[in-house]
Amino acid sequence: MAVETPPRVTPGTPPTAAKAGTEQPWKERWGGLFFVAPFLLLFVLFMLWPIVSGLWNSFFNTSLAGVKHEFLGLQNWRDLFGDPAVWSSLKNTLVFTAMSTPPLVIIALVMALLANRKGLLGWLLRFSYFAPFVLPATVVTLIWVWIYQPGFGLVNGLLTAGGFAEIDWLNTENRAMLAVVITTVWWTVGFNFLLYLAALQGIPAQVYEAAAIDGANGRQQLFRITLPLLSRTTGLIVVLQLVASLKIFDQIYLMTTGGPNHATRPIIMYIYETGFTSYRIGYASAISYLFFAIIVIVAVAQFKLFSGRGEAE
Amino acid sequence: MPPDHAPFRPGRRAVLGGLLGTLALTGCGALNSKPKVREWNLFGGGDGARLLQIHQQYVAEHPDVAFEAHTLAWGPPFYTKLAMSAAGGRSPEVATLHLSRLKGFSPTTMLDPIPVDLLNAAGVQQSDFLPATWDRCVVDGKLYAVPLDQHPFVLYYNTEICKKAGLLGPDGKIKPVKGVTPFLDMLRAVKDVTGKYAVSVDTTSPWRLWYTLYGQLEGEFFNEDSTQLVLDDAKALEALDLIAKLASEGLTPRSANYAALVAMFTNGDAGMSFNGEWEVTTYQTAKMPFSMAPFPVVYDVPKFQGDSHTFVLPHQAHRNADDTKATIEYIAWMLKHSVEWAAGGHIPAYQPVAKSPEYLELKPQAEYRSTAPNVLYDPDAWFSGSGAQLENESAAAFSGIAAGQITPKAALAQFKAATQKLLDTPSPV
Amino acid sequence: MTTATLPASTKPSRPVRWTFPKAASAVGAVILAVIWLIPLLWALDTSLKPEPETTRAPITWLPEAPTADAYRSVIDQGDLIRWFFNSTIVSVLVTTLTLVVSVLAAYGFSRTKFPGRKVLFGLIIAGILVPPQVLIVPLFQEMTGLGLVDTYWGMVLPQVVAPVMVFVLKKFFDGISRDYEDAARVDGASRWRIVWSVMVPMSRPILVAVGIFTFIGAWNNFLWPFIVTTDPSMMTIPVGLANVQGSYGLRYAQIMASAVLGGLPLLIVYALFQRHVVRGVGDAGIKG
Repeated sequence: MAVETPPRVTPGTPPTAAKAGTEQPWKERWGGLFFVAPFLLLFVLFMLWPIVSGLWNSFFNTSLAGVKHEFLGLQNWRDLFGDPAVWSSLKNTLVFTAMSTPPLVIIALVMALLANRKGLLGWLLRFSYFAPFVLPATVVTLIWVWIYQPGFGLVNGLLTAGGFAEIDWLNTENRAMLAVVITTVWWTVGFNFLLYLAALQGIPAQVYEAAAIDGANGRQQLFRITLPLLSRTTGLIVVLQLVASLKIFDQIYLMTTGGPNHATRPIIMYIYETGFTSYRIGYASAISYLFFAIIVIVAVAQFKLFSGRGEAE
Repeated sequence: MPPDHAPFRPGRRAVLGGLLGTLALTGCGALNSKPKVREWNLFGGGDGARLLQIHQQYVAEHPDVAFEAHTLAWGPPFYTKLAMSAAGGRSPEVATLHLSRLKGFSPTTMLDPIPVDLLNAAGVQQSDFLPATWDRCVVDGKLYAVPLDQHPFVLYYNTEICKKAGLLGPDGKIKPVKGVTPFLDMLRAVKDVTGKYAVSVDTTSPWRLWYTLYGQLEGEFFNEDSTQLVLDDAKALEALDLIAKLASEGLTPRSANYAALVAMFTNGDAGMSFNGEWEVTTYQTAKMPFSMAPFPVVYDVPKFQGDSHTFVLPHQAHRNADDTKATIEYIAWMLKHSVEWAAGGHIPAYQPVAKSPEYLELKPQAEYRSTAPNVLYDPDAWFSGSGAQLENESAAAFSGIAAGQITPKAALAQFKAATQKLLDTPSPV
Repeated sequence: MTTATLPASTKPSRPVRWTFPKAASAVGAVILAVIWLIPLLWALDTSLKPEPETTRAPITWLPEAPTADAYRSVIDQGDLIRWFFNSTIVSVLVTTLTLVVSVLAAYGFSRTKFPGRKVLFGLIIAGILVPPQVLIVPLFQEMTGLGLVDTYWGMVLPQVVAPVMVFVLKKFFDGISRDYEDAARVDGASRWRIVWSVMVPMSRPILVAVGIFTFIGAWNNFLWPFIVTTDPSMMTIPVGLANVQGSYGLRYAQIMASAVLGGLPLLIVYALFQRHVVRGVGDAGIKG
């Protein structure tokens, strides 16, 4: 399989064993820890500790208001499985993931194929496709809420000009999620586009030249060479995209606050509402753990699927 | 590759040092020793614009106070931020809070008590408020809120339409009606004139109308300690049936959201409107002929769903005495200047203003002031109050009634089930 | 300073022959680019209209009398400048600290040996799987306990923990020959000095790339600053804009003006550093 990653540093020589230094044995033995220590300290404080305290809290009825902290045993966990809001928000998360992932992969690929060219045009194309990705979520949603606005927004303005009926995108149950997905594709497709572009630029020109000599036309080159060579990149992008889509919160909170009638509320928003709006820190911790488990399962499954096919990127 | 590193380290150090210096400066806040008052509120509409004007006057009169006001989005976003900031300990000096949400906000941990001695020193006494309002601000023997206003559910009426319908008395004001039949007759007369609807209502959120009617039937909601739902099914249904009847007779629209409620009254499709009193500025700006009155006593007793905006001191880990003093003086100043606030529709809670000629001359804002003692607050529970979960559940259950999508009986069952689920959820406060 | 694994630079330039598929793909590319730019242009367009024109139906394409009034009111309200300041402080701190801490850790794992090294590295790699989103509740509680709610450090420190960065940099360091270090050591340089005067200069391109990405990520991060700041004067641009939008009422020109101002800084950064950004994605394949 051809290398698809872009140019990177070549090891000049194979790593040699650490040279026995002139330092004292103690310093030699433990000195390395000093370099790792700052990161480790932050890692323990702001990742390990919240993971542990979150698990701990999930067995208590801890309240944001600071008035309660009683041991509940597995009560939160039992409640969790009987809480329809957990399952409906989980379903919304999965629906969003299923709706957003295919276009985010396919459009990114098309963009990369179109923009893989040099010169000013290439620069302009790369700028246009990726520009939305550098905007904050709030700016993106302010713009799109305005675009979807009934009465005088851009989309409805075009619909009415074309003789169609207006759609109140963000307040109609089976349109709101679609509206969020469209916004998300516009906003984040640029990242996948760049991953594809990097992979495309890593395909050696000789491969195409050889194919051209063999008489392959552009279409054959695309389907017989380019796309097969991109398959590993596609795998990587799908992995990254699935995990990213499952973590959806920003756009939905800012565009619909989970409405109408909770039809777009994702699981992270339910965690937020439970923990901070309803003060139920303990219960929110339990829901967080359910979601955490799902993410880990998805990620590990994908890792199993893609490991053994070359080095993990 | 030759390592070239000479300018690298000092450069970064300088940048970092500069940054930390900046942090230290901004971390300490203002360098001068002016007391600071940061105020958070949730008034995003017409009342917010009015508040801004009042604040401008306050700032002009108080150059010795570092004053800062912020408006956050109404409802859950505001209350969530306020709770998180109180939990975090670096909350603003003062914030607005709906009185109906006081107990659910866990005042003993999330708020600091109001120092009554400072309030008295600033010229505000307990006797300046209606006892019922004041009592609601006291939790566990301590004062946690100072009421600014009350905002009942009221009747708006188009004076031209109602005059044609023969509903106005010789003084040009609407003649009060009492009882279901006179109430319906009045609405039918209005409908005859408009040819469309009698009243504009918000069918997507009928809580205020329903709770007003249910309250007028003397219905109870929770038991004494708010642990059980004691809803009187017959009374609850009677109120819901009336709402359904209004829609089926075409006296109210079958489907209208809040924006439509305002629009229908403004453009004359409806000759009356049932709503909170805060839209007065909107209709005055539209230069339409209208006035306001207490909501009719349709059933047995005068009760009007409503709430009260109060000032509270969110909990601070390290409260500064000078700031607190300035904050209490700010609250007192706002109360004494609440006639400008009242022009936006709200009834002043501070009685010296409520009885002042300036307020009494405000028309139509002073027309419904008599309802103040009979304002009916939302039921007492941690999930209840303005914009809280109980209201949302009622909206989900009751919004299909006017449209005929759900029978009052089924809607009531859904609402009771949802309320029971909230009651069964262990209280976090 | 990087040597390409592929002799891309030796590729002979082929003569450009414009065929129909080529022309069609160029046209398609431009059309797609225009579609992608329309929302941005529409925001800019709206922001330059006087308020009444924004809510006119049917919509007007270009402002009849362009005005900067909306920008003036937004800037006069003052908060935006404050948030811009906060965003800058937070993003610079996050980027600097992330790079420093990750470079040190990557060096430690790549070049030194100490007991438990493998276990620790495995633990940190496992951290890549942890979505920060599931930690918001316990992390907020922790910040409450530490008194860091509504502080810069409260926003910054959790964002500095980026296990993926340690992983990427360690992999990169593993690929750097030890000869340079050995030479420096012979000259008497300590390991601390080697990190800054050998490893860092040798990995400058990848550091620039991940640095830019860390900066963009920190500038745009919404969820964590949204959780840990409640005081509007401590908010960053994304969080502040989300909280004041209600107080503008229905003034779309102003909302779009604030959106344009909020998005502009990074658009400029991106336009200037496009080469590094494009390459950073390819090099590291980080973030999602």
